[in-house]
Amino acid sequence: MNMALVLTLIAVVAAGLLAWVNNVTTGPIEAINNAAIENGIKSVILGDRDIKFTVEDPVEREGFIFHNVNDMNGNLLGTAVESTDKNGFGGALKVMVGFDPEGVILGYTVLEHSETPGLGAQADGWFRQKSADVKEQPLVVNVLLGAPEKPGNHNIIGMNPGDDLMTVSKDGGQVDAITASTITSKAFLRAVNAAYKAVFGYTAADAVSGASSQN
Amino acid sequence: MNYFKTIINGIVKENPTFVLLLGMCPTLATTTSAINGLGMGVATMFVLICSNTFISLLKNLIPDGVRIPCYIVVIASFVTLLQMLMQAYVPDLYKTLGIFIPLIVVNCIILGRAEAFAAKNNVLASICDGIGIGIGFTIALTLLGFVRELLGNGAVFGYRIFPESMNMLVFVLAPGAFITLGLLMAVVNSIKNRKA
Repeated sequence: MNMALVLTLIAVVAAGLLAWVNNVTTGPIEAINNAAIENGIKSVILGDRDIKFTVEDPVEREGFIFHNVNDMNGNLLGTAVESTDKNGFGGALKVMVGFDPEGVILGYTVLEHSETPGLGAQADGWFRQKSADVKEQPLVVNVLLGAPEKPGNHNIIGMNPGDDLMTVSKDGGQVDAITASTITSKAFLRAVNAAYKAVFGYTAADAVSGASSQN
Repeated sequence: MNYFKTIINGIVKENPTFVLLLGMCPTLATTTSAINGLGMGVATMFVLICSNTFISLLKNLIPDGVRIPCYIVVIASFVTLLQMLMQAYVPDLYKTLGIFIPLIVVNCIILGRAEAFAAKNNVLASICDGIGIGIGFTIALTLLGFVRELLGNGAVFGYRIFPESMNMLVFVLAPGAFITLGLLMAVVNSIKNRKA
């Protein structure tokens, strides 16, 4: 049998099959992506609060995507911003950060990342944990390995990038980097600061950028 | 041909990871945790069984001169299919394994089994070979992921066993993958030698 004919035939059948499966799965995939965005908006703005809310249509500007969230009376509850930093440890790091109208961080979530598992990949939890939670360990371990380190601060919820210097403590900022993942931490904080700047125009980190400050 | 023997052969005598040393790239890259290894193994097994079945069915139809392109089309179709299905129905697993799924296309285990087994044997034997090699690969990956997660992260399948301060991070990173693989292979070989 003709070689070209067989190869063409196989390719055509394969393409047909893929087209059909693509057709079947497009709907669910889109639904999942939309649900992920919607859950993200809900979690970064509302957290555990149970409030009815409406989300305005997303606005895209300069690489950021803004979702304004209103309560049922039309008052602004906050803005969820999708922000990407290209220089994570493993590539682009995409986060969604929720700010209240004054610029206080209500919550965040990591949407996409390719950071190292067990290290940079902790970013999704690290920057919202109260430090005490992280250092909590069984008593026997304390006895064997010594008491936990003095708690640091890496909970960014409630901070305001306009007033608080949101860089890693190594750079003189107020946020402790993830252990052994400074590059990821810096990328994460850049994305948060960029998101804030996109909404409010300036950040506290701007004022000292370039200067080797120490606090 | 004893079908059961074919399955066991793929798991033990011709284990793709520990004996044939095929598909090292996904083996080292995806096994940062036990669940990732398991997921990658099962995904590869799915593609392997499908491609073995179809290539065995088509083996008399495909002329020798274009057999490799034909195999690749069949394999790539199943991988793309799997990718779309995973994205739609198991999004969490897809999120973890996402970038590795397209790499199954160039996983030499699959083309290797198509060429070495499915192209020469009947459909049922080829399915059994796919199952055997697939299980062998899955066991190897899960084992690797298990050891790396336990030593590097102090956890097993996400459940914490050791406190975080005792983690040996190197095992989660690339060098740890090589070290773990080398040690596991030594263990497997020593067990095998003792039997012989």
